[in-house]
Amino acid sequence: MYVHVPFCASTCDFCAFYQTSPTADGVEGFLSGIEEEANLVEWPRPVTTVFWGGGTPGLLAPTDIIRLGAIIQRRLGSVSATPPSEFRSPQLLEWTVELAPASVTDARLAALKEIGVTRISMGVQSFQPALLDALGRQHTLDQVMRAYGRIRTAGFASVNLDLMFALPGQTEAEWNADIDAAVALAPDHLSAYCLTFEEDTKLWVKLSAGRVKLDVENEAQLYETTWARLAGAGYAQYEVSNFARPGHACRHNLATWHMHEWVGLGPSAASQQGGLRGANIADLVEWRARVARGARMTEDRVALTPALLLEDSLIFGLRMNAGVDLNALRHRYPDAPWSTVDALVQRLAEDGLALLETGRLRLSDRGRLLADAVGAEIMESMDEPVSA
Amino acid sequence: MDVSLTRNFCIIAHVDHGKTTLSDRLLEHTNTVQQRVMTDQHLDSMDLEKERGITIKSHPVTMTYPAKDGRLYKLNLADTPGHVDFSYEVSRSLAACEGAVLLIDAAQGVEAQTVANAHLATAQNLKIIPVINKIDLPSANLELCMKQLEDILMIPAEEAILASGKAGIGIVDILEAVVKRIPPPRWSEHPHTRALVFDSLYDSYRGVITYARVFSGAIKAGDQIVLMSTNQKADVKEVGIFTPKMQKVDVLSAGDVGYVVSNIKDTSEIKTGDTLTLSRNPATVMLPGYKEVRPMVFCGLYPLESNDYEKLKAALGRLRLNDAAFLYQSESSVALGFGFRCGFLGLLHMEIIQERIRREHDVEIISTYPSVVYRVKQHGHEEIEVDNPVNLPDPGTIDYISEPTIKAAIHIPNEAMGDILSLVMEKRGTVEHTDTLDTTRVMLTCVMPLNEILVDFNDRLKSITHGYGSMDYELGAYQPSDLVKMDILINADPVDAFASIVHRDKAEGKGRALCEKLAEIIPPQMFKVAIQAAIGGKIIARDNVKEMRKDVTSKCYGGDISRKRKLLDKQKEGKKKMKQIGKVSIPPDAFIQVLKN
Ligand SMILES: Nc1nc2c(ncn2[C@@H]2O[C@H](COP(=O)(O)OP(=O)(O)OP(=O)(O)O)[C@@H](O)[C@H]2O)c(=O)[nH]1
Ligand code: SF4
Ligand SMILES: [Mg+2]
Repeated sequence: MYVHVPFCASTCDFCAFYQTSPTADGVEGFLSGIEEEANLVEWPRPVTTVFWGGGTPGLLAPTDIIRLGAIIQRRLGSVSATPPSEFRSPQLLEWTVELAPASVTDARLAALKEIGVTRISMGVQSFQPALLDALGRQHTLDQVMRAYGRIRTAGFASVNLDLMFALPGQTEAEWNADIDAAVALAPDHLSAYCLTFEEDTKLWVKLSAGRVKLDVENEAQLYETTWARLAGAGYAQYEVSNFARPGHACRHNLATWHMHEWVGLGPSAASQQGGLRGANIADLVEWRARVARGARMTEDRVALTPALLLEDSLIFGLRMNAGVDLNALRHRYPDAPWSTVDALVQRLAEDGLALLETGRLRLSDRGRLLADAVGAEIMESMDEPVSA
Repeated sequence: MDVSLTRNFCIIAHVDHGKTTLSDRLLEHTNTVQQRVMTDQHLDSMDLEKERGITIKSHPVTMTYPAKDGRLYKLNLADTPGHVDFSYEVSRSLAACEGAVLLIDAAQGVEAQTVANAHLATAQNLKIIPVINKIDLPSANLELCMKQLEDILMIPAEEAILASGKAGIGIVDILEAVVKRIPPPRWSEHPHTRALVFDSLYDSYRGVITYARVFSGAIKAGDQIVLMSTNQKADVKEVGIFTPKMQKVDVLSAGDVGYVVSNIKDTSEIKTGDTLTLSRNPATVMLPGYKEVRPMVFCGLYPLESNDYEKLKAALGRLRLNDAAFLYQSESSVALGFGFRCGFLGLLHMEIIQERIRREHDVEIISTYPSVVYRVKQHGHEEIEVDNPVNLPDPGTIDYISEPTIKAAIHIPNEAMGDILSLVMEKRGTVEHTDTLDTTRVMLTCVMPLNEILVDFNDRLKSITHGYGSMDYELGAYQPSDLVKMDILINADPVDAFASIVHRDKAEGKGRALCEKLAEIIPPQMFKVAIQAAIGGKIIARDNVKEMRKDVTSKCYGGDISRKRKLLDKQKEGKKKMKQIGKVSIPPDAFIQVLKN
């Protein structure tokens, strides 16, 4: 289950997520909307992971956290209606909440503990004050350190820190220092994102105006150093941007990359469930109105055909270091155009972009840096008519 | 209207001497185009013309002008292109006129196409009105222009009108000169209706629209016309004039320039230069037509998507209708499938046609490396023509290959002489003679292989002479030459579309340049790609296409899947816009890019 909490104190320059400023009415509408939307969903099987993303879920007041937590808990397969965590579903393996350093307080952490959250993901982005400013982020290094201390003291099972590299003006030395600073805090998990210029962000505007320059070679090098350094520090890469100490990979995200099912609640949240994929409208008021009419997953709605699922299992599966099990996929989707896929696999392997071992296909480091190009090739090969 | 009150004239000049800008002023002064809808270079109506600031097609327009003699004249103007590749357009326009306004840029003086176009007008017995234009420029040199007019063009200097299209100077003088100096329409007394077809275009609603200059008689809706070269008959549905938009009129009479819409649907039925007459009381003698133009440069054009073949074929038919200098016939390529061999007057012409196919006809195409027409003699056989390197016979069977040359008139400032002589040498040319144009300028008459001047000759001429050099040329004789076929290999496989015929001494340099340029133009690829140039199996140059370094989205979670798919889809479609040759995606305009410097 994914819950999109669409509130942020201000908008970061690189951000393309749906978010809005938190007003009392807005939060109230959001919470009751989530409750109504959860009622619309069929829950044919127990929820194994929960993820609250945003936005900034950590902006919710402790009481609202408890309220939202209770709404969620009612869907976890338990029947009891009284908090706290004794009615946690035995199937629930992981409950992640994203926090921004500026809003981490002991009271909020206590509320999160109380509802059963197991994993905290905190958006640090950089340990360099100047770069934080450049990103339009609203927190200081001091806040980061204090927040991390509080989270650790509260005792969550797993903690992730988000970092960003290839920031405008960032040197390689500065990025290495960021990695070192993050590693020194010994989180269980690290996400290291190459800055992306998303359309409709302030950064995009700067890029189009020529004020910020793209440097692909530099980005590629930073990716490579990141992977090497984190591996050296005991964080195994398991996806393009994700690294974990043993046993700490994010189960929720792994499930989506494996093309399992998930229910997304809240404005802009995407779901993949019951043979359909789609997203809610990215507008708090309109989302509520639609939920009130019983309508969800109204945007980008597609039926999940075997061909689509196979294609996505490959495209998104290959982003993971473990790659995909071709034999299993072949078994599951026997009617796909396997001959063209096999030819592509052959080419990828010949050129050192992928490795094929006992039916598992995974990308080499060079291949992983080209995962999008590989994805586009996969799509293209899937376009080919099935040869008889 | 009385035919004696009609004047037909065109504006001719070297490239950029201000023809279209001056036309703007004439349109304004005669209130032909209202201020409200007037645009700069108004007659350059094609997007491509506007974007590039050059005229590609001749554009006819009818104006009325109340002259100082108190009478109202009908003036049919044609603005013509200045670029050497489109000189055929100029000669067609001239054939529909009795006079020509010859512009000379006051800062540039007489240049190569000034001379060439003046000769074309004289050859058709047209009255020339010399106009020294752009006199508003600080660098204008009127004295020199006057002198060049007399010395080079043999036109008395006192005939010259001083003007500026930009500043609107001399406009009335020009209009008055057109009325007074240019004779009224010729051959208007001929007993039968005769009209010269000088252009046509295909309109998807109305079919073929024929542009015609009526010399005698009249044509109106309801008439049955005959195309004299084929005896094909057609019913006239509408006639009209250009204002410059098409405007329906009741009748086109002697001296008029306008359009004829008939029930001709097939673009191949109409030929530029043909004579129209009426089926009742038909003429027996055709108007002098045009001499056939021979394309000088050929390349293969192929649809990017093989099922666009028919669409491309239709597009070529329509373009040919609108451009008699362009030829095509079907051919096939191992790398590119089924397509067409197309002939052009030069590289600019080739580039423009390719753009028009893409834009006006919405077919994505890829072109092969261009070639001139070689003559090849094999032992015991007749000479054959080869315009596609793929068709070059086995070198062992060849007696000789000869290549086309051009005879070029190159106008340059004296001080550039040394550098231009080395340029001509480098291009395997010889200078036949040198003429002094005036105290500052000379004209070199050179013979050069056509394939050497196609690519960068003009650019180099311009840069050596700081813009003051110019060149005109016509096709010369064939000469035997030591020519070889150069193959381009992609990952060791020869690609027929890339083959070219080159002079042996230049093969290595050209091979290296071509590999390097292709490696630069082909976007970075996921897979390793080597590009090699080879002659008879021997590799003479090689390069590698850049390898893609990074193409990965960093954030990709459940909520990003749909958006991500859309992006990948776009990426995939982008690739489809390229031609897959083996493992490599080649941009369709690769060769146009290679040829540009
Ligand atoms: N100063 C000045 N510039 C002019 C004048 N007439 C034209 N120009 C400029 O010269 C350039 C070429 O003008 P055009 O009118 O397009 O020339 P053209 O002869 O029609 O060019 P082609 O059709 O390509 O042969 C443009 O940049 C004009 O603005 C003039 O009288 N004075
Ligand atoms: S805190 Fe997160 S969701 Fe909010 S604006 Fe910044 S990046 Fe976007
Ligand atoms: Mg022009």
